[in-house]
Amino acid sequence: MLERIRAAFAGSSVDTDVLEELAQHAEATYESLRADGASEADASAKIDQLIDGWRTDPIALRRVIKRAVAVVPPSETTSWLSGARADAVYGLRVLRAKPGYAAVTILTIALGVGAATTLFSVAYGVLVRPLPWGATDRLVRLTEVRGGKEGRVPGTMMNGSYLAWADAPQTLDGIGFYGGENPATLTGVGDAIRVPVSRTTPSTLQLLNVPPLRGRIFAPSEGGRLNSDPSVVVISYPLWEQRYGLREDILGQPIVLDGVQHTIIGVMPRTFRFPSAGVQAWLAWQAPPVDGPGGTKTGSIMRAIGRLKPGVSIAQASAEGTARAIAAPDAGPVAMALFGAKEPIQITVRDAAEAAAADVRPAILILLFASLLLFLTAIANVANMQLARATARHREMTIRAALGAATGRLARQLLIENAIVGVLGSLAGLAVTMALVALLPSLLPAGFPRADAIEIDARVLTFTLLLSAITTIACGVLPLLHVRKLEIARALGDSSAASAGAGRGRLAVVRSLIVSSQVAVTCVLVIGGVLLARSFTAQITADRGYEPESLLTAGIPFPQSFTVERKEQALTRILDRVRARPGISHAAMSTGLPLASAGGFAVFQFPSPLRGGAEVDVETYRRVVTPGYFEALGIRLRAGRVLNDADSPTAPTAVVVNRTFVAKYLEHIPIEQAIGLSLGTNAVRAAVGKVEASIVGVVDDMKQERPDEPPQSEIYVSFAQLPGINHGQQAYLVARTTGDPLGYVEALRTALREEDPTIALDAVMTMDQRVGTSLSRPRLYAVLFLGFAVFALFIAGAGLFGVLSQSVSQRSRELAVRTALGASRAAVIGTVLRQVAVATAAGLVIGLAASAALSNNLAPFVYGVSTTDWLSFGVAPAALLLVGAMACVMPAKRVAQTDPVVVLRES
Amino acid sequence: MLERELKRGSAELLILALLEDRERHGYDIGKQIEERSDGTIAFPITSLYPTLYRLEAKGMIEGRWVEKAGQRRRRYYRLTPGGRGTLVRQRSIWENFAKAVNRIAGVKHA
Repeated sequence: MLERIRAAFAGSSVDTDVLEELAQHAEATYESLRADGASEADASAKIDQLIDGWRTDPIALRRVIKRAVAVVPPSETTSWLSGARADAVYGLRVLRAKPGYAAVTILTIALGVGAATTLFSVAYGVLVRPLPWGATDRLVRLTEVRGGKEGRVPGTMMNGSYLAWADAPQTLDGIGFYGGENPATLTGVGDAIRVPVSRTTPSTLQLLNVPPLRGRIFAPSEGGRLNSDPSVVVISYPLWEQRYGLREDILGQPIVLDGVQHTIIGVMPRTFRFPSAGVQAWLAWQAPPVDGPGGTKTGSIMRAIGRLKPGVSIAQASAEGTARAIAAPDAGPVAMALFGAKEPIQITVRDAAEAAAADVRPAILILLFASLLLFLTAIANVANMQLARATARHREMTIRAALGAATGRLARQLLIENAIVGVLGSLAGLAVTMALVALLPSLLPAGFPRADAIEIDARVLTFTLLLSAITTIACGVLPLLHVRKLEIARALGDSSAASAGAGRGRLAVVRSLIVSSQVAVTCVLVIGGVLLARSFTAQITADRGYEPESLLTAGIPFPQSFTVERKEQALTRILDRVRARPGISHAAMSTGLPLASAGGFAVFQFPSPLRGGAEVDVETYRRVVTPGYFEALGIRLRAGRVLNDADSPTAPTAVVVNRTFVAKYLEHIPIEQAIGLSLGTNAVRAAVGKVEASIVGVVDDMKQERPDEPPQSEIYVSFAQLPGINHGQQAYLVARTTGDPLGYVEALRTALREEDPTIALDAVMTMDQRVGTSLSRPRLYAVLFLGFAVFALFIAGAGLFGVLSQSVSQRSRELAVRTALGASRAAVIGTVLRQVAVATAAGLVIGLAASAALSNNLAPFVYGVSTTDWLSFGVAPAALLLVGAMACVMPAKRVAQTDPVVVLRES
Repeated sequence: MLERELKRGSAELLILALLEDRERHGYDIGKQIEERSDGTIAFPITSLYPTLYRLEAKGMIEGRWVEKAGQRRRRYYRLTPGGRGTLVRQRSIWENFAKAVNRIAGVKHA
């Protein structure tokens, strides 16, 4: 039949494909006619009729094969601008013709740009943006260091050093001394609420030089020294708005904070945030002198800022501060208590904005670095895809070049096409960034410094634009090189679409290199992510010396009006009520609680029996507790006994110490031998004269804040043996429960309400929640890093898949020939996979080496695992090999299922 | 003029509709049209392939050679997403046209 059709169409330009199709049709018709009973001659005649019908219009039988690009390229124009516009339209239509490709490309760029831009906005906002403190030029943070240690509140200065320097400083225009965000109970306007307040010397607000919106700021003489001194207050705009309804007669109004009545003298503008975003009021305060009446020493550590005089260097200011601090009155044991060392004193001076974010700077820089790596991987992937397309469009380009399009003209078109992809991807990335930045307040842990300074502004937009330009150039340049190498004659002579022309081998190498680098970057990100995740879980499960499960904790802030006796009575009665509640196995009060407050600090001397009675200087944390504290927290007793109800006011004074205390002050004796040792009469000073205190028990060390903190010496004394002593306004309640601790919150509230309705529970949390909150930064870092790693894995997988499938389709003919010549399927598949295996292996080697070199930078963030942890270094190659294997499945299957005969006939 | 356009449009619509659910080869398409129209629609078999190639050139259908075990290879046609869109549009045009004819001429159709 085919011969008959061929003969009929001899001399016309109808495709052999079409002829084959027509022949089949004719044959099927013939057979159908015969089956219906037509004679051979009749059927044959009908077929002739059919063929004649087809022959009447052979032009209509011309089959136009749809090429990869069905879009008509723009024609040449003389104007560059209109040409560029035509190119842009053409580029958009080319993209629309391949929606899947466009979506993947734009999404990849969007995520890469989004991650990098978000981290940039965080880094810029937190680390670089000027502080919202008015004029911030030459503003410096002053920090006191004694014996190489910062104070117990890092980044602070002692009152003595401040007072010595504040009096006519030579290198500074002024010094401010202020406290951080500290909650106080605001009463008298609506319901009682806790508002964050900062105590500041009048000099602080003067130094910042922000004109108040209403009223005035503090005069130099204003402010009391004690918390209970009535003073003057400047309030924030939000407080004025929410609590006072923006009333104009706000100035001169009384304001009651923690039961003390002060006077409002000013309102700050809406944009003023100092020292942190949450502060709602500033209370005028005067730093107390070190030497108080009757030979007492007062030490307070607060933050200090100053403004350098023009032309003064940081080193000069530091030198003056150090000299002044050394000349200040000796604070003696108070300095020891606050710094753990008295000398040598040094004042360090740092740029204020830099100091504000010092503790998150390394983490942000590392995450920014990681996000930039991710961005590079993402655009490498897009460049790789563009390259693949350039190869596929080789014929189109070659033909256009042959038809007279200048190489520059084609280059412009490619660049514009890539610019469209780059710009669309970057816009989507900007949308990702905007969504993330809007979510940041809920994503960032509480207390993350300067979180309010993170916003999308002209700088962030410029950065996005820069990334977009990098994307465009990176994606455009490689295909561009390809255009330059167009060898018209050769490519046109080569009719096979499977062969992509002259530069194919070189391009394959470039693509393999790109994939290798993606694998390397992914390897680095995965290792970093796994390290941080393992460190995070190690911190969750770390032994902190107590058992955080099934533990309910709360602060109980007593009103200022409560006397010491009243507090003691309240404590006992509240505790009795809580203990009576079924389901609570142990309940206790303490001056300190892990992750909340370290309690008090004691500095004393005792005649050491181990040193023949020689005095030993002791500086130790001291917790005053009720019996049951050890059982409630689950602190492990190692020798002797814990404090109990027998330790009454009349019994000998009993002290429980921890292991570190024994090691540090009792010459490392075996802990059993510490039981019964006397700590002299200074260790525990009761209200009534001096009493001798003896060690009755030794417990394991407990971690106050972080599981990796150095061990601290600690002593525990019973409330009952220190009657009449003021232990501060805040006590902590701990209750060990059966079942969910949060089910007992109401019982706690009831117990307090029954005692006095004006006492409110402060920060009711389970101990697990406190642990979780304390780990919110490590968790954030781990989640971000892992997120980047997963995204990078996807990108690397897509990259591998892309290279492989293209290699398979380009080499299908070669592979078919080899199969036809007798090569086994396995051997053929092996040929294809080898290319990917080599690229992956090379990437892994580079990635592992780079990780080994870089992981040291993660050391400050890693706890409980080595930065060269074998598991983390093992997971990355395993994950990449898995992704690589998954990327291989489809193309390998295609090779295996291809019938070489079909391939050879088609090509 | 109208007649020609209608004829041409209807032929395309028929082919697109036939390819809506499954891919078919040329002979199959021709046979289906004959069978389904009970001979009322005169569709000259000579115009089948030109129509197919025109649709293919417009990107509404695409043809590809398929090899089945023990058979000669055949070219199967299937709808492209573009063709699917055209089919939906043309269907509604035809429905509206039929309705309009109905209203004017009072023809009832089964």
